Amino acid sequence: MTFGKIFPAWFFWRCENTLPGSWFKHAQWFFAIDETFHIMALGMLIGTLVIVDLRLLGFGMRRQSVSQLAGFLGPWTLLGVASMIVTGIPLFMSEAVKLSGSSPFFFKMVFLVCAVTLHFTLHRKAIASSTRQGSGLGKLAACLSLMCWLGVALAGRAIAFL
Amino acid sequence: MSHLLSFVQWLNDTPLSVYLRESDWPFPIIETIHILGLGFSVGTVMWVDLRLLGLAMREAPVTDVIEQLEPWAIGGFAVMFVSGSLLILSEPLKCYNTLAFRIKVVLLILAALNVLYFHKRVMHNVDDWDRNMPWRAKMVGILSLILWLGVVIAGRWTAYF
Repeated sequence: MTFGKIFPAWFFWRCENTLPGSWFKHAQWFFAIDETFHIMALGMLIGTLVIVDLRLLGFGMRRQSVSQLAGFLGPWTLLGVASMIVTGIPLFMSEAVKLSGSSPFFFKMVFLVCAVTLHFTLHRKAIASSTRQGSGLGKLAACLSLMCWLGVALAGRAIAFL
Repeated sequence: MSHLLSFVQWLNDTPLSVYLRESDWPFPIIETIHILGLGFSVGTVMWVDLRLLGLAMREAPVTDVIEQLEPWAIGGFAVMFVSGSLLILSEPLKCYNTLAFRIKVVLLILAALNVLYFHKRVMHNVDDWDRNMPWRAKMVGILSLILWLGVVIAGRWTAYF
């Protein structure tokens, strides 16, 4: 499945060949610099998610409570997601036509929507109702969250290779 | 020809190196593992650094943050080191000739020295840090953030130069 089968071809063509997309596409080094920021944001984002999700699973920072950790790191997670999207959109626009035929890109977006939805629903609920011993709900939310974000990262990396 | 270059040349011609370079799947798979390892190692180290600087997790004792995150940072680093070695092995000559890669190696060595300095010289009175964070610890935190950021940037740019 690809976005090219859902949206008309002119949409991708216009993304890539009108401003600001055409600038992203032709500016020397823009792609490399933007991708570097995208990866740095990834490091920060995955770090915050991993620390909170490991804690929900009963590993890592066990001396702190789940809600404490989520309180510390939650704002940074949002900042991480926001930076990924802000740096990701120009990456998309600079090669929109190629991505319209890329199934890894399609699945990356599907995983991303799942991950963000999960973050604001089940994940949030699990953190709010967390206890010292941990709960089944917390473990389920942590596993699903880790799997969705892993899916985003794997599919994202696969865009370059498939 | 220098000794290092002839070693790199030899490495480049080993069957494993040729295999990694010429087959389709090993490189993308190893690189993906390398990037996930990055999330674990840099993603946990930076919180230790930010805690040292008093910018994050301030309500958690410093020792809690260091002791509980360090095993994951080390684990992540081990994954990065092994997968990274294989990535180098897949194209030794290209790495040798790439400026970004040379910078990355220097930054990695500096980052390792920084960690060593932290453990040998700075951490001895760590129990007092919640009351009074020494400037040396803050310096280690800033250096660590800058060096790892540099490693990530130089690593990403190894693919472009």
